[in-house]
Amino acid sequence: MKPLVVENVVKQYADKTAVNNISFEVNEGEIYGLLGANGAGKTTTMRMVLGLIYPDGGTIKYHGRPYSNEQLSKLGYLPEERGLYPKVKVSDQILYLSQLRGMSKKDADQNLKRWLERFEVPEYYNKKVEELSKGNQQKIQFIAAVNHRPSIVILDEAFSGLDPVNVELLKSTVKELRDSGTSILFSTHRMEHVEELCRNITILHKSNTVLKGNIKELKKQYPRERVILATEGEVQGLENIAGVTGVKRQEYGYEIGIKNEAAGGEILRSAMAQTTITKFEIKEPTLNEIFIKTVGDRHE
Amino acid sequence: MNSFWTVVGFTVRNKMRGKAFLITTLVIAIIMCIGVNVPYIIEQFDKGGKKITNVGYIQSASEELAAGSATGDSLKVYFEQQEDASIKLVPFEDKGDTAANEDQLKQAIQDKTIKGYLDFGAMSDSGFPEMTYKSEKLMEFSQTGALQTALQTIRMTTVLSDAGLTDEQMKQLNTPINIESVQISATEDGATGRTPSEQGVNMGFIYVIIIFLFMAIMTSGQLIAAEVTAEKSSRVMEILITSVAPLKQMFGKIFGMFIVVLSQVALYVIVLYVNVTLPHNKETLINFDIDLSKIEPSLIIYALLYFFTGFFLFATLYAAVGSIVSRTEDLGQATMPMTLISLAGFYISIFSLSSPDSMLVKVTSFIPLFSPFVMLLRLGLTDVPFWEVAISIALLLVAIYVAVYISAKIYRTGVLMYGKRPSWKEIRKAMKAYKI
Repeated sequence: MKPLVVENVVKQYADKTAVNNISFEVNEGEIYGLLGANGAGKTTTMRMVLGLIYPDGGTIKYHGRPYSNEQLSKLGYLPEERGLYPKVKVSDQILYLSQLRGMSKKDADQNLKRWLERFEVPEYYNKKVEELSKGNQQKIQFIAAVNHRPSIVILDEAFSGLDPVNVELLKSTVKELRDSGTSILFSTHRMEHVEELCRNITILHKSNTVLKGNIKELKKQYPRERVILATEGEVQGLENIAGVTGVKRQEYGYEIGIKNEAAGGEILRSAMAQTTITKFEIKEPTLNEIFIKTVGDRHE
Repeated sequence: MNSFWTVVGFTVRNKMRGKAFLITTLVIAIIMCIGVNVPYIIEQFDKGGKKITNVGYIQSASEELAAGSATGDSLKVYFEQQEDASIKLVPFEDKGDTAANEDQLKQAIQDKTIKGYLDFGAMSDSGFPEMTYKSEKLMEFSQTGALQTALQTIRMTTVLSDAGLTDEQMKQLNTPINIESVQISATEDGATGRTPSEQGVNMGFIYVIIIFLFMAIMTSGQLIAAEVTAEKSSRVMEILITSVAPLKQMFGKIFGMFIVVLSQVALYVIVLYVNVTLPHNKETLINFDIDLSKIEPSLIIYALLYFFTGFFLFATLYAAVGSIVSRTEDLGQATMPMTLISLAGFYISIFSLSSPDSMLVKVTSFIPLFSPFVMLLRLGLTDVPFWEVAISIALLLVAIYVAVYISAKIYRTGVLMYGKRPSWKEIRKAMKAYKI
């Protein structure tokens, strides 16, 4: 049984469709990426998965079963905006939220201490949330989402507002969660995180699914159109090679746009004839490029 | 059920730990301590005030002052005959001329042998000369009042004895007439009725209960609404709703707040009780003819019943109101109607303490949002047929059921609505979408 299956889900608000016919499934131990520009319908989809709002059509199944109050304890949620009591001590509210999801107080307390230790902030146990910096509040928010050992975790823009060190810390924690078998639904606009963490993604644009599937396979569908060339000396006449669409001079050498991979070989031959090559690479498209391409295409 | 108690516990713990709550409770408890002891304190001052005021006058045989002097003498005799007279007249010798007399009396005031003195003028129609009471203080009404009463009695005695009445007849005339008022039950047989002192105690009890109920509703209602709004604006609500059913959450909060308010009220009651039973206050109460054991047990039961149901009804509605608002700033405006309704109920009953059988009171004692205040008043001060109480309570319970149903729906809907305050149409539409 797959932990989370979303099938043909539709959400209609008064005069507009917020989510149009989205389907995806998340396996055990998988991070599933939900991408899209602002207002594309990511948060609405997540809220439907959480049961905060009901879909107008389609089904969502958790371990094969429909939504019910018993499912609540299996879900963990990190909202995009801060969702903690500002004036309540960290320990009090994490224990409260964990207990609400059916954990014993003692168990929750031990787990919380372990998590604080993991984030290297055990001294926050007795602090009020409002006394913490934004990045540290995000850590607490994360603990609130996972402390009760949910099997499905929903992370909405989990890394926003964090410094690079903390992003790395949180990223490695998310990977640990994945490796321990948790299914994670993950939304962001930061493509490099998605490339690093997710196996499968769905790109939403204006309520519609525009791209969906395994990242590696998606990338294969897009032609390799970029060559990185680093040389010791100057290379002349690159523009004249057949299939080259453009040449940009960079600090390290050249970035060349090509129509097909055959042009790559020509570039390499031409460059080798002129000078010593330190680096040559036909780049596969980044997710960022794919995203801009698919989403940008539809702007017209 | 488990998570319900978790919510209750969290609410109670957070509120009880709050500094604002502790300080408010303490301040009110202190005010109550002082309030209860006021009768005793007044009594202490009264004892001090029982000091006899010395009033001077000129005793003279001269033709000009004879009438005044005679009046002074008869006043002196009158007050000496009284058992605990508050005034004693002190005669002074005539110095021969007005200025010297004045000086002499003023000197006596300075020496504190007298507080003031009587200055007599020309004879008037009343049978006494015109009099002026002169003292250093303004507004000596108690002294002039006592003097007036004394003079009236003196005049009446003189006139009556001149008319040739016997002492027997005089005594008969002077005996005061008493009418005692007893409130009885016209429907129940063998009911003994309530004596004035019982009525007084009941009235005091009702008064205290109504004030407690009002306070409990106002403070806890606002707190519940504020807490819901705060959870909403801090988005904790999104996490809460994904952790526990909204209905449990709402009632956990209401029940938690109820425990908080109840323990607060219990503390106040204990403070009051301890103070009232202190030895010195016990005496004072008896002196004032207040006997707390005269409160009827049935009245206490009704009071508790109306207190709980009234609290629950208002708290539920406040929670619903709090869930509609997204920012704490808008809360005051949104809770205004609720506040006005509870104020109305409170004032109807407080202002009707002297007319508990008016039509307004009768009608409002059946209207659910007012009945906790008003029916209590009727129960305490008049004789209400049981079926009327039963109908009032039944209506109240129906109102609670409806309020719970609607509030739960509004709550489930409202907590996820952000942005501007939603219109009624939007709320109604969204409410249909959610099962409780």
